Amino acid sequence: MSTKAWAVALVVFCTLLTSTAQLFYKTGANKLPLIFFNWPIIIGLCLYALGAILLIIALKGGELTILYPIIALGYIWVTLLSSAFFNEMITGYKIIGIALIVLGISAIGIASRRKEK
Amino acid sequence: MTTSPIAILAIIFAQLLAAFGAVCFKKSASKLSWQPELLVKNKPLIIGLFFYGISTIICIPALKYGELSILYPFVSTVYIFVALFSTRMLGEKMNALKWLGIALIILGVSFIGIGA
Repeated sequence: MSTKAWAVALVVFCTLLTSTAQLFYKTGANKLPLIFFNWPIIIGLCLYALGAILLIIALKGGELTILYPIIALGYIWVTLLSSAFFNEMITGYKIIGIALIVLGISAIGIASRRKEK
Repeated sequence: MTTSPIAILAIIFAQLLAAFGAVCFKKSASKLSWQPELLVKNKPLIIGLFFYGISTIICIPALKYGELSILYPFVSTVYIFVALFSTRMLGEKMNALKWLGIALIILGVSFIGIGA
């Protein structure tokens, strides 16, 4: 099957959701062992669940080998969000890592275009 | 902090489970429905959620028992497993360019782990 653009866009959106969820987890982790009214963790779980649901829907629109690697974008968002919200440093290694991930996902994207002959 | 070898094994195992769960999700996609009765009967969906859930449960504590610079590369093995399982179970095809993409992603994730 060919991988549709809407499916790719949806997976990208999912990575934004799950990355934001991790941000909330980390915030909520500071409040542990509070579980029941730990709003950051609860919000994080909701975002994570929503991301999973959308991912499954997205899989209707393309190949798993094309769509799944896009999830690696999450590492990029988490790096950027952690820098913005937790003042974590964006080191040179992280920048190289981000570039490599972008290259890798691009390669897979090109591969998805080429296969349709 | 030294990285526990058990943490590494646990993470690799978790990625196997996650990859299998992802394949199940793909299989479940054709049977998706907005009707709850049909959703709970969607076997691949339920199985996928189970495996993905266990994988997450294993990963979260495991990542605490080692350095991310060592553990992250093992987390990214999930992309290899997804490729292998997809060819076997979904009939998808891999090619050199897709493998190159995966290799670059693994390298990239490793660098992010080192930089953390």
